[in-house]
Amino acid sequence: MMKIKLFAVLGAVITAVSCTPTKVVVPLNEGQWQIGVTQGRPQINEGYLPVIGAYAAKGVSAAKTNYGGIQFSSLLLGAVQLEAGQVATLIPQQGFKPGVSWSYGGQAFMSTRDYAFRFYPETGFNAYWQKGPHIVNASANTWVDPTWFLADFGRGQILAPSFSAGYRLRYKWFEAQLEYKILNPTREIHIPQAYVPNTSGLGGRGFFYGMAINF
Amino acid sequence: MKKFLFIALAAITLSSCADVSGALFAGGDGTYDFKNTYLDPEFQVDESKIHLLDLESGTQDTIYALYVGDFAQIATDTIIVFLHGNTPSMDSYWQTAGLFANLVNKHHYGFIMYDYRGFGWSTGRSTGAESMAADYDAVLSFLQSQGLTSERMVVVANSLGSLPAGPAAAGGSRIPVQKLVMEVPQSTANVIMQNATGLSLPASMITSYKFDLGQNMEDYTGELLWMHGTEDAVAPIETAEAAMQKHQGTYYQEAVYEGAGHGLRWDIGDEEWSKVVLDFIRH
Repeated sequence: MMKIKLFAVLGAVITAVSCTPTKVVVPLNEGQWQIGVTQGRPQINEGYLPVIGAYAAKGVSAAKTNYGGIQFSSLLLGAVQLEAGQVATLIPQQGFKPGVSWSYGGQAFMSTRDYAFRFYPETGFNAYWQKGPHIVNASANTWVDPTWFLADFGRGQILAPSFSAGYRLRYKWFEAQLEYKILNPTREIHIPQAYVPNTSGLGGRGFFYGMAINF
Repeated sequence: MKKFLFIALAAITLSSCADVSGALFAGGDGTYDFKNTYLDPEFQVDESKIHLLDLESGTQDTIYALYVGDFAQIATDTIIVFLHGNTPSMDSYWQTAGLFANLVNKHHYGFIMYDYRGFGWSTGRSTGAESMAADYDAVLSFLQSQGLTSERMVVVANSLGSLPAGPAAAGGSRIPVQKLVMEVPQSTANVIMQNATGLSLPASMITSYKFDLGQNMEDYTGELLWMHGTEDAVAPIETAEAAMQKHQGTYYQEAVYEGAGHGLRWDIGDEEWSKVVLDFIRH
């Protein structure tokens, strides 16, 4: 039981802090709002862990959507984690030629224990195919760690990339999201006394889900 | 701006500050069925020398310790103080007790190990540096009352045991530590957080338990033996090495084994393990 608890909380940390689900792949219509909840499920040992966050997004133009979010799992552990950013269409979809969007923003963390603060800018690209209510995407994203030098024993890394592929059903007021994500494939992820399934010996991985309403 | 401030304040208020330090401790039930039946023939002990002790830890808790040897030995012989790893109870280390009780020859050294709060029959709950230090002090208080002195004490810490052993060696021990064995130690609380996330996040994001064995080793003036395997996935060697090599004390020895994991003694065998530890004790 204790072991489950251990990997549950540290596993929650992995998803809560090292990678959050992709919120918006295809920019919303101008003036449209989207409010959603997301659940990351990184694989730890043989199980998956539910990690929950919420976000709101608004289409500020036909090609740009702003978003902001909060991770409840981090809150539970004593860290305030807020994120904000923008998704912008770079290349509109043309038939079978995928559209490309660019996302950029940041993640802010603050410890409620000693008020330690970290900020991680993030950026990424999404290739998407949209047909009616169906959206399929492949995404590459990276967090930038400007305080990598604060990691103990010089073990910090400037980039924390992730790669994902997903499907979204955006039907009228409702959107369902599913993606599979490979986390941090540039370094080993360790959780004491737990096994983190990885890709070629590096990183972590797992499914992420989301549900949102559009209005 | 007002909206952002509202969200930030709400987030802080909502935060329940669950602390993962409690979850780091895998305490559980123990049977304390310490009998020769469960030992390999070469590790058998004189069953009259097996003593289960209950000791007061802090003001409210009782911890259980196992002493193998004659109590009279404590005032005259070398005593091994063993701080066990993250298993439900010291039951898992009965074989280790047998091994230490048979170093050189049967009952040459006295041996004591104990369960932290929430492990085995020990009451209460381990929560971090304070509870770990109190449990260690309860054992040292007993040993001091029996006549143990600094030059005859060897502290051996396995994995989780390195967390209380570090501060103890750095001056937090009522009997000063002069000989310390760190077997597959962790390094810092931050490293656990950073290895789990891949980011430079401090451990204070998830816990108030701030251990730093690197700093402890820098402050420790006695002799150190560090043992580790290169394939340790629980306590990665790179960070453990960085922490241990901060040691500036009187003597430093490391024993690193290619291909060995966190179960070091099982991977390298009792013979090699005993030889290295014994050489260090006799150094």
